[in-house]
Amino acid sequence: MQGGMNDDAIPGLPADDSPLWKRVLKHLAIFASLLAVWEFVTAFGYADPLLFPRPSEIFGSFVPLYVTRAIVWEHLWVTMATVLAGFVVGTLLGITLAVLAGLSETIHRYMKPYVIVLEATPRIAIGPLMLAWLGFGFGAKLAIVTLVCFFAPFINTLTAILSANPAQVELMRSLGASKWQTLTKTIVPDAMPMIMAGVRMAMASALGGALVAEFISSNKGMGVLLDNLTAMLNMSGAFATLLSLTVIGYVLYALMEGVEGRIIFWQNEAGLRRASARRKRRWMALK
Amino acid sequence: MSGATPESERRLNLVMRLTDPVFLRRKFTHLAVFSTFIGVWEWAGRTGRLNDLIMPAPSAIAEALWRLYVVTGEIYWHFFVTFFEAVMGFLIGGAIGMGLAIAAALSLAFRRYIAPYAVALNVTPGIAVTPIFIAWFGFGWSSKIALAALIVFFPIFVNTLAGLLRTDRDTAELFRSLGASKAQTFFKLMVPNAAPMIFAGLKIAMTSALVGAIVAEFASATEGIGILMQRYSHQLDIAASIAVLLSMSLMGLLLFTAMEMADRHVVFWKHQGRLEAVSRNRRRRWFGLAMTRLAPA
Repeated sequence: MQGGMNDDAIPGLPADDSPLWKRVLKHLAIFASLLAVWEFVTAFGYADPLLFPRPSEIFGSFVPLYVTRAIVWEHLWVTMATVLAGFVVGTLLGITLAVLAGLSETIHRYMKPYVIVLEATPRIAIGPLMLAWLGFGFGAKLAIVTLVCFFAPFINTLTAILSANPAQVELMRSLGASKWQTLTKTIVPDAMPMIMAGVRMAMASALGGALVAEFISSNKGMGVLLDNLTAMLNMSGAFATLLSLTVIGYVLYALMEGVEGRIIFWQNEAGLRRASARRKRRWMALK
Repeated sequence: MSGATPESERRLNLVMRLTDPVFLRRKFTHLAVFSTFIGVWEWAGRTGRLNDLIMPAPSAIAEALWRLYVVTGEIYWHFFVTFFEAVMGFLIGGAIGMGLAIAAALSLAFRRYIAPYAVALNVTPGIAVTPIFIAWFGFGWSSKIALAALIVFFPIFVNTLAGLLRTDRDTAELFRSLGASKAQTFFKLMVPNAAPMIFAGLKIAMTSALVGAIVAEFASATEGIGILMQRYSHQLDIAASIAVLLSMSLMGLLLFTAMEMADRHVVFWKHQGRLEAVSRNRRRRWFGLAMTRLAPA
């Protein structure tokens, strides 16, 4: 893998040694001045207030969305359920199938051309077809998110398993390990960083998949809410919904980051320290 | 003459590859697997074991393809519209992404203050902005181009930035000690060093540009391959919508291959065959230069 997608964070940010309040203040000052410019541009009529709502209006419309009318909750719940269910089903399916395919070179060889064609197809484009097959309910949405979440883990797992270190596999064989042991003790742990990269990509696209599914099949969900608010030209409400989606996206991303740090603990300093402390404790207790 | 040798060598290699028994057997089994699969599928469709509304037989899909591409030829315009939207979005989003990435690579302060916004943009699904963009840019092509540009922005931005920052410290030192100017360091050191990563980002972005254009078409459009697909599946003409889906795969492959070719051309040193060809050309050019210098005018 020569330089794949690196979606983790912004690279090249050395630790800033100025005091925390100074940093926060600077960021806040920039943010506030951006908002102020936007506010005044709209207030003085340089931009159409119907299309570009003022920041104050956007923050104001969080109140009816979340508190007074509280319409966001049911949509939020549906979207989260779709995202999580589709993510779990899709990634598990992808990893399992890839492990099965990776075990046999023949299967892999015959699958490859189909995988390439499927990879080039924009997955979300299958949305309308799924609707025709599964109707307008939860099933179609789940299927779309599952499909969107399937590929990245599948392809990463397959690639990682096929590029397993032959010397290690040889060593396991010469130590008399069974095929299952070779798989679970060397190949899969070795493949884990790449598998997790695929899983993270799946998580990043799951929310988008759910939203598209909701755009094209309208019953409930954040996508529907967003669509309705824009159709009513309630742009400040639409922006508030969009910001909520940013927050949801960030929460999912942070969750994924945490899980990844625990699963492939040997890739980061803190995880390594935690794991070795745990092991030391266990050994001490044994003694 | 000089060009003949590698050319004939390559031709010979190709002939040997095509007549290699292992290669032939492999191609044959691939074909056999494929035709058995299609055969079983067709049989299941003909005997009514597969519902036509769920999964039409391959012959029905082929017929739909024939209808779309030859009889009515209606797909070409839609194909062009989506293709154009995706490529325009890619160019606009790519230019903005690269410009900001270069600025961020050159200035630590800019990088620091742009970071939170870039992270926020990254975690927001770009697709979510579709309804807002349609309200802003209308139902025509421009809303699709805008969405494609938005989706394309992040992978290009982050890969360009990471690539530019990956410069080797020793090489940078060497450049400085040789008295290279800032512009020379940028164009001769940082950009070539970043090129592989930039192209990795461009390749990812190219396919997502297509997704952006198609999703925006789903939301509201009168022309484009996405709306064609949606129309057919609403009419429950599943064969035709699968035919359109195949056309989308084709477009994805076309765009991806174009990027791949650009990658091979620009980042030639990462690909063995291209590396040899380029160094052969350079050798020839140098050799010619030496000859003209040596020969009296």
